[in-house]
Amino acid sequence: MNFELSQDHKVLQDAVRDFVNKEIKPIAAQIDEEHHIPDALVAKMGEMGFLGSYLPEEYGGAGMDMLSYAIVIEEVSKACGSSGVLISAHTSLACGPIDTFGTEEQKKKWLPDLNTGRKIGCILLTEPDAGSDAGAITTTYRKEGNEYIVNGSKIFITNGGYLGTGVLFATSDKTLKHKGVSAFIIDLKTPGVSILKNENKMGIRGTYTTAFALDDVRIPAENLLGQEGKGFNIAMDTLNGGRVGIASQALGIAEGAFERALAYSKERKQFGKTISELQAIQFKLADMYARIETSKLITYKAAWMKDAHLNYMVESALCKMLASETATYVTKEAIQIHGGYGFICDYEVERMYRDAKITEIYEGTNEVQRVVISKALLG
Amino acid sequence: MKILVCIKQVPDMESRFKPAADGLWFEETDLAWRMNEYDEYAVEQAVQLKEQLGSEPELTILSIGPDRVVEAIKKALAMGADKAAHIQDSASHHKDPWQIASIIAAYAKDNGFDLILTGMQSQDRGSAQVGVLVAELLGLSCATTLIGFSYDDGIVSAKRELEGGLKGLVTLQLPALVTCQLGLNVPRYPTLPNIMKAKKKEIQAIPVATLLSEQASAPTTGFYPPARKGGGIVLEGDVADLAQKLVAILKEKTTVVR
Repeated sequence: MNFELSQDHKVLQDAVRDFVNKEIKPIAAQIDEEHHIPDALVAKMGEMGFLGSYLPEEYGGAGMDMLSYAIVIEEVSKACGSSGVLISAHTSLACGPIDTFGTEEQKKKWLPDLNTGRKIGCILLTEPDAGSDAGAITTTYRKEGNEYIVNGSKIFITNGGYLGTGVLFATSDKTLKHKGVSAFIIDLKTPGVSILKNENKMGIRGTYTTAFALDDVRIPAENLLGQEGKGFNIAMDTLNGGRVGIASQALGIAEGAFERALAYSKERKQFGKTISELQAIQFKLADMYARIETSKLITYKAAWMKDAHLNYMVESALCKMLASETATYVTKEAIQIHGGYGFICDYEVERMYRDAKITEIYEGTNEVQRVVISKALLG
Repeated sequence: MKILVCIKQVPDMESRFKPAADGLWFEETDLAWRMNEYDEYAVEQAVQLKEQLGSEPELTILSIGPDRVVEAIKKALAMGADKAAHIQDSASHHKDPWQIASIIAAYAKDNGFDLILTGMQSQDRGSAQVGVLVAELLGLSCATTLIGFSYDDGIVSAKRELEGGLKGLVTLQLPALVTCQLGLNVPRYPTLPNIMKAKKKEIQAIPVATLLSEQASAPTTGFYPPARKGGGIVLEGDVADLAQKLVAILKEKTTVVR
């Protein structure tokens, strides 16, 4: 057993860290305030290979492994949770299923633009009445000649506002529940796709969270992803990978807040000494660090299991659940260590606190993760 | 054209250093390691020259040290170098600049390098001697502290940083060695696809014993942190008294008041 990162992973980590410190960290507050990640930064992340890290080189990806992907998102999220989830949702939820379930033609057509960041990807699964109960979607499709005609609405679509490439889920017959669901690749500039709104949110404010209306959207038959009626399986498999991405995002947010809290505790003086000399603060730092290290171990393990082609459903649920709860805990304590200053935007930990909360909710609420884990335990 | 860039892996300078048990260097456990900043400028300049000459030059990286220095080598390969030599030495930190330069010269002498680039100094030892010693040992023309570099038809035109904000312009006929300073260029980031490509590039491992024949000429005999500063002087008394005491101190300890 070896818990050391390989030299190649260390080279990657160092490269990403360098990029993040120079290109993202200085503008993280601006990204939050302006509700927008500059297009130039998205393009640079594409050039760096952040948007296709574990996808095959033959389709424009970097050809790395899932652990590399986790490291990229973790490092980016230390500075900016918005940029972290852009990468995660794009890679795991759009590139991932096209690579896993797509035909050779589909991969050649759609992946190069995605993996290099020329198009930003998203998954269109959630609906107003179908969140955790993904089998309850009511967006419908019917076949007409060489096309599928889709009608319905989708909400909370991370990266939706880029109008890039989506993986869309719709049902042929909602009474069939999850057995009626199919998946399609969709160019979001297709007529009939309209943005109802981009949500105003508590955190990850630099990302789009988009509501769509789909009115008689015509999708070419060749864009069917996998087999008809197997869409639910595609969604579940996709979310397994997505959870490692979200766990990495949550882990990065926690580490970013911890670094700041640790540094601040050694600078801030009260009662004639630094607050790091107070046991109340020392114990907080120990508790924060313990949760970060635990979350990191299980997140890297889940990534390693996917790379080893093992069944990692439970570990992906575990890492998402643990890392997200670590993120909300650590960012909250980081504010507490900063005292009143922590409540001031300039000190950035308040942004991290706001960014952390969503990680307990999206890509399967933590309640759903507990269902996944306990089901596996009780067989 | 054959280019050699010598790089060193150094600790992250944000680290907390403490002396090692032997009292001759710092403790290495728990440190994070990086490529020496000045060496990154050297790698970048070499890659730019390679691009200028249409990929024709062969760009070799050299680093001396234990296994971990391969991380710095891989970064340089991902930035665009072609191949590398790893001089394996678990005790490189105990060698003085003369020995390090001798090892590099022993490697380079039969390889026919037209241009050698190094950082102007390392961030940890900071001797700034290795580059010039290598040039001397190999009989190369040499310019240090470069903040500007151009190349045309066998001639390097270099802008050097001198003291007091002055700059100097020199030209060097190849073969030459230059040492690189902050401000020369902005090193590129190794992209993920290039990190993957670097995995396939050759890293030749060479035991240091095959290249080293020199004794240290300036061995390190001690390593210690600076003494902790005292708490400063607090003056007390009425205003006239304070002013007199302050003037007396300024006269005694500084050149501000004469």
